[in-house]
Amino acid sequence: MNETLVQINNISKIYPTGEGGFLALNKLSLDITDGEFMGIVGPSGSGKTTLLNIIGTLDEQTSGEVLVLGKHVNKLSSKESASLRANKIGFIFQTYNLLPVYTVYENVELPLLLLQMKKEERRKAVMQALEWVGLTDKMHSRPNQLSGGQGQRVSIARAMVKTPRLVIADEPTANLDTENSINILDTMLKINQDIGTTFIFSTHDPKVIQYLKRVVTLIDGEKVKDDYQTGI
Amino acid sequence: MITKLAYKNILGNGWRSLINIFILSLVLTGMIWMQGLYDGWSRIARRQMQEWEFAGGHYAHQDYDKYDSFSLDKSFAAVPPKLQDLIDTGDAVPILYSAGIIYPHGRLTPVVIKGIPAEQNILRIPTTHLRIQDPDTQILPVLIGRQMAKSINVVKGDILTMRWKEVNGAYNAYDIQIVQIMDTPVPSTDMGQIWIDYDKLNEVKALKNSCSVIVLKNQAASTYVGSPWNFVSIDQSMKGVDAMIQTKRVGGYVFFVLLLFLAMIAVFDAQMLAVFKRRKEIGTLIALGMTKRQIIGLFTMEGTMYMLLGSVLTATLGLPLFFYFGFQGFPIPQQMSDFNIAGASEPIRCYYSPIMILSTFMIVMAVTVFASWLPSSKIARMKATYALLGKV
Ligand SMILES: Nc1ncnc2c1ncn2[C@@H]1O[C@H](COP(=O)(O)OP(=O)(O)O)[C@@H](O)[C@H]1O
Ligand SMILES: [Mg+2]
Repeated sequence: MNETLVQINNISKIYPTGEGGFLALNKLSLDITDGEFMGIVGPSGSGKTTLLNIIGTLDEQTSGEVLVLGKHVNKLSSKESASLRANKIGFIFQTYNLLPVYTVYENVELPLLLLQMKKEERRKAVMQALEWVGLTDKMHSRPNQLSGGQGQRVSIARAMVKTPRLVIADEPTANLDTENSINILDTMLKINQDIGTTFIFSTHDPKVIQYLKRVVTLIDGEKVKDDYQTGI
Repeated sequence: MITKLAYKNILGNGWRSLINIFILSLVLTGMIWMQGLYDGWSRIARRQMQEWEFAGGHYAHQDYDKYDSFSLDKSFAAVPPKLQDLIDTGDAVPILYSAGIIYPHGRLTPVVIKGIPAEQNILRIPTTHLRIQDPDTQILPVLIGRQMAKSINVVKGDILTMRWKEVNGAYNAYDIQIVQIMDTPVPSTDMGQIWIDYDKLNEVKALKNSCSVIVLKNQAASTYVGSPWNFVSIDQSMKGVDAMIQTKRVGGYVFFVLLLFLAMIAVFDAQMLAVFKRRKEIGTLIALGMTKRQIIGLFTMEGTMYMLLGSVLTATLGLPLFFYFGFQGFPIPQQMSDFNIAGASEPIRCYYSPIMILSTFMIVMAVTVFASWLPSSKIARMKATYALLGKV
């Protein structure tokens, strides 16, 4: 149960810019264990999204070593990393990123289609995921017919439908009011407790921080603090 | 799944999709219709040339050259026995050519005199009018076409003087009477042609059963008969006309290449914009685990689907048009029927061959697939990190 899911050893990320490049992550090391409910916290521009992109295998570090589920991220082919994401990693975006032409049901079903799951199994998994987020009654709606809170819950269902090992949520409450923020945090915490999915957030929202069991603070691309909390 | 997503995206694209689909169906309809028109024209020309001039093909004297009027006076020979049998059974008809001169209203006009048996029924030339009632008559009955009558300004019943060379080179002259003016759609049986009885022409040229061509009733009878006769199939006879129709067809193509180009731009533009506007969506799909190849497939599929929907629209909107022109035909404007080409005299029924339709689809399809693939290849170089950018 205490397997290390993500292992980050002394990574740096330099974005190429006009004059020499911009150092977004600076010699950062971090281990994330299976089942954690943790967050990367820091002011805007501190490198949170950059770090999550690398953990999510959407981007690569400039130096250092990153292992996700035991795999060296920068050694994966684009096909292998696509497969890793399709099978093991769920994403929750600040702007939900639902496909507007799909219904709620279809949006949630999409990741399963990539896994070539059979229709009946897909149906079961989609209904289960919609139940977790309490949106079974909205499954035929389109994203533009939903409120912000509902939209984000659909995106949680989409991330959870394949029961990934790891969910990456980049500022998931930034566009939500307090009530909805609390609601989706409760949902995610319950999933974490029930089935043990690992959650990695980025945020600077105090409401979110309260929920986190572990808070890693970044400033200017450097890890300045790594605290375990017992608040909740 | 990609198909479904592509389809939904197109629906979601609203009027922009509609315009693309409309343009594509316009191009398809136009190309099919236009080609159907030319193919139909070619078929009519072929049928008319068969009916009026060449039937199932013909033997021509080896010295005959239709572009050289001097060849007329040496390109005849006695009917070979092998073909005489066919003539006797009504399966072939001999025609003797001769150079001649007529003087309508005193104007010297060179003509080709064609002697054809009055009783033949292989060609639609109304040769029964050429029958000579009184063997001693000094006025020979002749047939000419409508265009010829117009150009030399004569009417039925007019009497003219006609001269020709006998085989020994001496000139001879006769009076001829226009007993009938026929409506032939084939210019080469009309302009500059004087039709006269076969035996009479032989007689006045001091020949006996000699001819320049022998027209066969049936296509199969293409046996080798030896010198000086060459077999000319109907396909060979059609070459000139087909080449001419082809030239016109190419002229029409220029227009459709432009249209096709327009369609390509439309699809390209739509997909280019889509790739740019939908960066976040692309990033999201990548994050969800789609490979870039799948995403390129998706965008290419979207473009291709325009084509499919365009085809559906073509099928529904174009069908009545195709049927109308297929059955009713396309009336040839007056100045076109003056073209010196067969098939320009009656409404042209468009003819749509499956191969033509299929190849047209393939061409338009290839162009649209290319036009929609081109922008999506940009996706391959796109950063997956767009998905997590907070901005829209
Ligand atoms: N593609 C990029 N090119 C150049 N600089 C970038 C790029 N992406 C992010 N940055 C810079 O890196 C820093 C960290 O960005 P980011 O990881 O998005 O921070 P956060 O998510 O904490 O707000 C910022 O200063 C940002 O301007
Ligand atoms: Mg960020």
